Amino acid sequence: MYRIKIDRSRCIGCLTCVTACVVSHETESTDARNRVVIDSETRPAPIFCRHCERPECVYTCMTGAMKKNPQTGYVEYDKEQCASCYMCIMSCPYGILKYDSIRNVEIMKCNMCVHRTEDGSANPMCVEKCPMQAITLEEVRES
Amino acid sequence: MKYVVLGSSAAGVNGVRELRRLDADSEIVLISKDKEIYSRCILHQYLGGKRTMERLCFAEKDFETLYGITWFKERSCTHLKPEEKEVVLENGETVSYDKLLIATGSHTFVPPVKNLKEAKNVVGFRNIEDMEVLKDAAKHAKHIIVMGAGLVGLDCASGFLELGVKVTLVEMAGWLLSKQLDKRAAEAYQDAFAGRGVKQYYGVGIAEVTLDEENRITEAVLTDGTRLPCDFVVVTAGVRSNVEFLEGTGIELSRFGLVYDETGKTSDDNIYGAGDVSGSSPIWPVAVKEGIVAASNMAGVPRKMTDFFASKSTMNFLGIPSMSLGDVNLEGEDIEVEVKKTKDSYKKILHKNGKIVGAVLQGDLAYGGILQQLIARKIDVRRVKKPIFDIDYSDFFHMKENFEYYFEEE
Repeated sequence: MYRIKIDRSRCIGCLTCVTACVVSHETESTDARNRVVIDSETRPAPIFCRHCERPECVYTCMTGAMKKNPQTGYVEYDKEQCASCYMCIMSCPYGILKYDSIRNVEIMKCNMCVHRTEDGSANPMCVEKCPMQAITLEEVRES
Repeated sequence: MKYVVLGSSAAGVNGVRELRRLDADSEIVLISKDKEIYSRCILHQYLGGKRTMERLCFAEKDFETLYGITWFKERSCTHLKPEEKEVVLENGETVSYDKLLIATGSHTFVPPVKNLKEAKNVVGFRNIEDMEVLKDAAKHAKHIIVMGAGLVGLDCASGFLELGVKVTLVEMAGWLLSKQLDKRAAEAYQDAFAGRGVKQYYGVGIAEVTLDEENRITEAVLTDGTRLPCDFVVVTAGVRSNVEFLEGTGIELSRFGLVYDETGKTSDDNIYGAGDVSGSSPIWPVAVKEGIVAASNMAGVPRKMTDFFASKSTMNFLGIPSMSLGDVNLEGEDIEVEVKKTKDSYKKILHKNGKIVGAVLQGDLAYGGILQQLIARKIDVRRVKKPIFDIDYSDFFHMKENFEYYFEEE
């Protein structure tokens, strides 16, 4: 599967990736599905969904709206099936999830921008727009 | 190898998935009382007409064929013969197994209230069959009392509100969701429910119900003497594990339910358990994980359950989001309490010697997941030089070779 590799040493905290995320999903919401936060030493840290091998958000989802796709490895979210119970927000160990800020209904979940390609492969706009190549798309192996 | 799984909810379904993932060829038999897979956590949306039966299903539509299983529906298990490695069903049929997963869940506990057991117009809030009874009650009953204002009781009240039915809540504790929320956060819900016409009584229980000659409730008498008109009672005051069929089998039970170790194994080497049947951590994510862990060990791939942190919940009653972690009502000299309020949100974090022990967030839950990890892992947060409400993963950032994140063990 593919994951977004993060090189913190290259990140300058410009938030271009966050803006790109909003733009990529602008027909669905006004929020980003990623974030860049600043640690105690004021170094930026891009916090992006990992599409975990053992995804806590999937384990905790009581409607089946959050699912791990066995073919692509991506954790997919079905907003129609979602009950807006927010258990996934609580369960993400890295504090990546939130709900949309207008209706408080939809979970802001990275989809690897598969909607941007014909064949459903990943094409994250954040990676495309990062001016520092701090985030790159890489193939990884799951155990 | 022949696997038999009892129960088709969170633990059973995830157990089946894991068994098939690890063992492509073996026979898997699923036996369930339920005739369909459905999520008990969203039944209130079915009651309220916001979700169809089809959309209660949390598993794949073609579950049976996708995982290549034999599924005996609408059959409950009445006995077990560990020596013969057989389960006995209520119609007398027996099903043999090599490895058995018990994920039979729990049932509504009816508290020992005078006349309640004899009453006809009483139901729990747990099964799809309960919802059919309640849909009917919504049409006829004028005075529905919900016994208990916990997560399930409030689900019930919310579902009825969708139908325009205003129930009355009776709760022994001083406020609703007393295990999950502090008084202030609870009041936001109490006011919202009151605004929608839901009457609420706190700090009192139901002492007895009055029955007519047909054993139908006509009145409820509270512990403070208050008499309330009542023609239907919904009991949401806890659950008990479904272990009756294990009586006399020699399999170890506690006073709460089935006993199993961190691999899911019971006192019998061929029998595993998962989910609410333990009677210890009755929440969805624990049931899912226990199902996966038990199945993995049944299929010969060793794995241990490590996550026992179960005092956590989120809620969204009447459009007010809240998250509760750990103990939010702790008091004591060494407990420090920090509160942050804005126009739309209320946040409280309790910490002790640098470790967060409880948190309640209301109105703004964004990125709150980190708090669960800090509490469950007992991570000292004093090295974070930021306000406690602004703690995020940046100060704990670690990435594996495959770019997954992780927390360093302290």
